[in-house]
Amino acid sequence: MRFRTLAAVAALATVTFAAQAHGPTRQKVSESIEINAPADKVWAIVGNFQDGSWIPPVEKTEGKGGNEVKATRTLTLKGGATVQEELAKYDAAKMTYMYRIDKVDVKTLPVNDYSSTIEVEGNGDKTKMTWRGAFYRGYMNNDPPPDLNDEASKKAVSDLYKAGLQNVKAKAEKGS
Amino acid sequence: MMQAARSMIVLGQARRPSPPPSAGEGGPRRGSGEGKPRFRRWLVEGGQAAPSLPSPVRSADTLPRRGGRVTRRLSLSLLLLATPALAQEAIVTTQLGNAVEIVDLASKRVLHTIPVAGAPAGIALSPDRARAYVTRPEGHGITVIDLDSQKVLSELALPGGPLGVGVNPKSGEVYVADWFAERVFVLRPTPEGLSLDGEIATGQSPSGIAVTPDGATLLVANRESDSVSVIDVATRKETRCIAVGTHPFGLTLSPDGTRAFTANVLSDDVSAIDLAAGRETGRVKTGQRPYVIAFAGNRGFVTDQYSNTVTAFDPATMQTLGTVDVGDHPEGIAATRDGKTVVVANWGDNSLSLIDPESLKVTATIETGDGPRAFGDFLR
Repeated sequence: MRFRTLAAVAALATVTFAAQAHGPTRQKVSESIEINAPADKVWAIVGNFQDGSWIPPVEKTEGKGGNEVKATRTLTLKGGATVQEELAKYDAAKMTYMYRIDKVDVKTLPVNDYSSTIEVEGNGDKTKMTWRGAFYRGYMNNDPPPDLNDEASKKAVSDLYKAGLQNVKAKAEKGS
Repeated sequence: MMQAARSMIVLGQARRPSPPPSAGEGGPRRGSGEGKPRFRRWLVEGGQAAPSLPSPVRSADTLPRRGGRVTRRLSLSLLLLATPALAQEAIVTTQLGNAVEIVDLASKRVLHTIPVAGAPAGIALSPDRARAYVTRPEGHGITVIDLDSQKVLSELALPGGPLGVGVNPKSGEVYVADWFAERVFVLRPTPEGLSLDGEIATGQSPSGIAVTPDGATLLVANRESDSVSVIDVATRKETRCIAVGTHPFGLTLSPDGTRAFTANVLSDDVSAIDLAAGRETGRVKTGQRPYVIAFAGNRGFVTDQYSNTVTAFDPATMQTLGTVDVGDHPEGIAATRDGKTVVVANWGDNSLSLIDPESLKVTATIETGDGPRAFGDFLR
């Protein structure tokens, strides 16, 4: 299973020298969910950078550096695709961290220069968890094909975030 | 760190023709579609206290200037105008909001929101400060806004990905960099707006643009070529190509117009170029992914996109003076005419940060529309 299934990646073959550059318009996505569980419980599920198992497509997490800045992890997804990520900021007291994708195939997730922030905010027995991302679209040159344009990239990230948040909610609310 | 040995000079370099204009137009960008997300500030290691330093010495000659637009005479004449000229405004491109906002820095309010489709990003002002030129990389063109009436005067379609933009302080010519190619468009101002008047070959992915105060030299940061093109405005030819750090994006002239500085996105530093010598003369380390540079008094300021900070540096010694925590993904940066405020556009959390350049403290935060970039000369 991939983060996202894409059909029209053949268009990538047309990328010329500008392949290193990115599209001129960075996008942002933010998804939140209210969880009927205390923040500590939610943080225990999502707060370890070396355990991405709460993200539905993730089968295996391998990494080094723990939760220190510049720690790395490789997520292996169901089906075999991998995502290499690096921790950029981590604050356990504030229950938040930020990481970047160092390497991902646009067939897996159609993004470039992707950074992501996890935020857990407690309010008594309830918790608000937010997952935000900033990234450029999957197609780095001008006039992107429909499946790698800004809208498609935002939808892929948004769908991933919603699925991840739903999964955390289900896990945290399941009891003990 | 001296980088003189890395400099090179290229004369009469052959250029391959620019790619043909792209067909079709990208659709207008949409906003994030969500309510305004609540962003939390991220503290960066070691990024607080500013060292106490003598106050910057200021004179008309050291007024902040980007792209060589403010000559001494113009600055003085502006200062002599009636009070409206002193009301400082920020003209902010909100790229995801598809708008240009006019923000009053005194009352800290958005006064006007002007819809501009096509993901507006780059901005420059005419020498008389009456017009804003706004690039639309996704709508493929440039929009001319009359700032006194707060209305779109006209639009001009351009091929490629128009992003960086600069204005010649003498002739009023407008230069627009094509992010996806190796060229800068030359546009001539007309009563109705702008007309295309040719193009100039540059390096790959031209980005930041500046023009010397005498209007004779155009400087272009070539992001993918790791260089700065020095272009003779009269002949529209590159006369030198100066090697700088990795992926220079923003390019800003020093207040006296004798040096140029590039923010090198991938090498996390700022390069200083001596224009008379035609080579890089020094570097200063920044935070992660430096983007754009501004000068206030005798200090330089660079936005660090990934660190959510602004790094202050001394352009004379190329030493870091301190860092300021600002909003998420800071991009455009400029100093007010009086040099007392540095204004930063925070793309991620939709705000402007106002910084006191002496204390290195954020003095105010102003909410904006979605995705403010303000890449260029955006303070009026």
